[in-house]
Amino acid sequence: MSPDLHLAHISDVLLTWAVFAYAFAMFGYAAEFAAGRRVAARGGGTAVVERGSRRTDNVGRAAVVLSVAGWCFHLSSVLTRGFAVHRVPWGNMYEFSCMVTLVAVSIFLLLLGQQPIRRVAAIATRRPARHHMGWKARESVRYLGAFVMAPVVLYLGLAGTVLYAAPGPLVPALNSYWIKIHVVAAITATGAFMVSGVVTILYLLKERYERGQVPLRLTLTTRLRSPMRPQRVSLGPGTAAAVEMTSARGGLMRALPAAANLDRLAYRIITFAFPIWTFAIIAGAIWAEQAWSRYWGWDPKETWSFITWLGYAAYLHARATAGWRGRRAATLSLIAFGCLMVDYYVVNTVITGLHSYAGVS
Amino acid sequence: MTQTTEPVVSADQTEKLSTAPEPVVGMPGRGPLRIALRMWRQLTSMRTALLLLALLALAAIPGTVIPQRGLDPVKVDNFLARHPHLGPLMDHLSLFDVFAAPWFAAIYLLLFISLVGCLVPRIRLHAAALRRRPPNAPRHLLRMPASTQWRADAPPEEVAGRTRELLRRAHWRADVRPESGGSLTVAAEKGYLRETGNLVFHIALVVLLVGIALSGLYGYKGTVLVTQGGGFANAREAYDVFAPSRLFSDSQLSPFSFTMQRFNASYDSSNGEPLNFNAYLRYKTSPTAAAKPYDIRVNHPLDVDGAKVFLVGHGYSLLIKVTNKAGQTVYDQATPFLPDDSNFSSHGVVKVPVLGNGQLGLTGFFYPTAGASPFGGITSIFPAAQRPVLSLAAWSGNLGLDSGVPQSVYSLPVANLKNIGVTQLSPGHSWHLKDGATVTFLGVQQWATFQVAHEPGKRTVLVGAVLIIAGLLGSLRVRRRRFWLRAVPAAADDPDRRTVVTAAGLARSDAEGFADELEELASQLGRRTAAQRQSRPASGAEGI
Ligand code: HEM
Repeated sequence: MSPDLHLAHISDVLLTWAVFAYAFAMFGYAAEFAAGRRVAARGGGTAVVERGSRRTDNVGRAAVVLSVAGWCFHLSSVLTRGFAVHRVPWGNMYEFSCMVTLVAVSIFLLLLGQQPIRRVAAIATRRPARHHMGWKARESVRYLGAFVMAPVVLYLGLAGTVLYAAPGPLVPALNSYWIKIHVVAAITATGAFMVSGVVTILYLLKERYERGQVPLRLTLTTRLRSPMRPQRVSLGPGTAAAVEMTSARGGLMRALPAAANLDRLAYRIITFAFPIWTFAIIAGAIWAEQAWSRYWGWDPKETWSFITWLGYAAYLHARATAGWRGRRAATLSLIAFGCLMVDYYVVNTVITGLHSYAGVS
Repeated sequence: MTQTTEPVVSADQTEKLSTAPEPVVGMPGRGPLRIALRMWRQLTSMRTALLLLALLALAAIPGTVIPQRGLDPVKVDNFLARHPHLGPLMDHLSLFDVFAAPWFAAIYLLLFISLVGCLVPRIRLHAAALRRRPPNAPRHLLRMPASTQWRADAPPEEVAGRTRELLRRAHWRADVRPESGGSLTVAAEKGYLRETGNLVFHIALVVLLVGIALSGLYGYKGTVLVTQGGGFANAREAYDVFAPSRLFSDSQLSPFSFTMQRFNASYDSSNGEPLNFNAYLRYKTSPTAAAKPYDIRVNHPLDVDGAKVFLVGHGYSLLIKVTNKAGQTVYDQATPFLPDDSNFSSHGVVKVPVLGNGQLGLTGFFYPTAGASPFGGITSIFPAAQRPVLSLAAWSGNLGLDSGVPQSVYSLPVANLKNIGVTQLSPGHSWHLKDGATVTFLGVQQWATFQVAHEPGKRTVLVGAVLIIAGLLGSLRVRRRRFWLRAVPAAADDPDRRTVVTAAGLARSDAEGFADELEELASQLGRRTAAQRQSRPASGAEGI
């Protein structure tokens, strides 16, 4: 069946709307974060972004609404694309990018929704009133908004321009129910790794900041009385990056949760994604066995997936090894993410192999 | 070895719930034994595992950047031709066969030795941990990372008893232990599955490797070209290419056979992109068995007796007949031509050993749908045989057919031969050569190449893979956690005579969601003690 070009066009338009919604959401989150950071700076730098004024809180809420709207457009775009081409909408790099970002935004929204969902569930199940306990409630992850939306917008921008593939049928080798199993797993894991990568970068920055906090606080108090321009203050190794991100109005870093919390969040997302990635590789091997008569052939795509897998396994080991916890483990997970990006961009476009389904010419 | 016989370990604030083996201090033995022991410990340490994992990842990278023999031998030859000095050196370092290189094997074998060496003690430790009771409650529960306190109307025995009952129902391992002063503690632990999963995962990696090794040692792989109507019986000589493994013996070849009734390829009429390939077979599992039909296509191989038959390629065979001057048929065969491009422009040769006074060779180019080539001449413009044209050149002389030197059936060295004419034929047409011979192009058939692969370790690999996932889920999604509750009898000056209940918990590495769980537990306990209160109408306010 030939593709429904009208529907495909609708899909493209929906994607553009999604990108705009995400971009505006990103600015909203950033504004709220910047305001929260000011409060945090005044309030002694607790880990949580404290609520600023009601106005900034409303900006944050608007950003959430925009993200949800963007997500709806995004989902509809993927669905209409699927209907337009009469097959699963993940057959080339353009479609793959749309799916990965959809997963990334979904994970962010799920993390964001955890608390409200629990609250509703508690009401629904009529659980008794909460104890006043020593353990503290979960933090909101709204601070992540700007940092998740930025790569998502970038990814989608790249997908819509450089990687765009006109709607068309699948190549025969991909025409199997395994594309549903293997590729969905790969997409889900990739989306999750993307979010964990963002959190890990924040962790590394915050960790750096926490280590260099003493000198930094000195500059914060003597801080160059208020010009709006960003300041560069050299404080010796370790703090340069943190300082670079310090604007005139207060430590961006202070508004982020404690490094330990970021580390835990990144770990949690990776423990979600790693088994799925493992499954994706195994499902791919089973598929390869049926399609190409061997389950493993060290094709570049297979090899880079394996390297990525080893990278995350190394991260998990590092996290359990004294002396490798924290910064070094986080670096390993970023390297693993880099391998995933090589697997995705470089292998699909530069290195030729059996997996050349990119649809990019 | 290092563990005590004491059934209960004390859990003070400092203790972590890690399942990693403790670093062993103090080494027995001396001299070389001591050094060997130290090396062994070093090899089986987590740090080494980490290093080897990273090293393995690093070592795999050249295999994706440098052309590999296993993937694209032509590219390797081109590379060698272009780099006459560097190439052989790289070849010497196995850089064109990275994944079969000794240094690559060394890394993963070390990794697996390390793995086994670290698994054995961990299995022992875990087996012991499975038998052990939960550790005693720390003295200061309120100093634990998560803790709470409330007052209950029930006496300590009831609180403790109910707590244990509740915990056990939720699959905690829970004990009630008396303390001095009449107070009772409940010590509970849950999530042993985490370490079990972790061990299963690591053992599964070994299982996977064993499976791969089995295939590598006992399997075989072969390819064979079959023309429509032709057949194949599974024997070593029947293959065009046969690659047995190191410990393979011919008795492993299961005695199946098949004939290819029909081959069908369909293409997108607008651009010639392939849509479907189907090879319709009738196969028998043994010479005496009944024939069954099967349709092999991409993603749909035939599975017979552990061997799998895949469709890996296809092309055209041309029915060519040659008669000599006397009108006797000297050649009448379906001759496979090899495709040169995606529209199946193909080449092939015919070698006729006896033709009166010499040998006759034909070199041919075949175009399933002939059209004008942008470079002049003709080419194929569509992969299906819609307008077939066979372009032939005839050669006479000594083809060397009886020289004893093995020859390719797809090429004919023409340097010492004499050209005796060229022509173009469409199906049904004949070409009369000057010496009286006649070449007739009777028609076109399809051939298909099949790969037969037998991998005895495949099941094992699959089992390993499934266990890897199951183990990982246990290892990463289950949290090992401990829970304690202390019920202290009411102080003498408490007018309500209420029991002071303190509860605390500790989760390993990933504490996420643990607070909710504790909260849920405590609230259920609170509810229970509240229910208790209702059965004693005389007592005071609720303790929540
Ligand atoms: C074939 C390579 C290996 C892979 C892919 C691998 C993978 C993993 C994974 C995914 C985990 C889970 C991490 C977690 O629970 O947070 C883990 C844990 C662990 N691995 Fe490995 N592993 C490998 C080899 C080894 C070796 C050689 C050793 C021993 C020297 C080892 C020792 C451990 C230990 C002790 C843990 C548990 C850490 C803890 O619970 O704190 N692994 N491994």
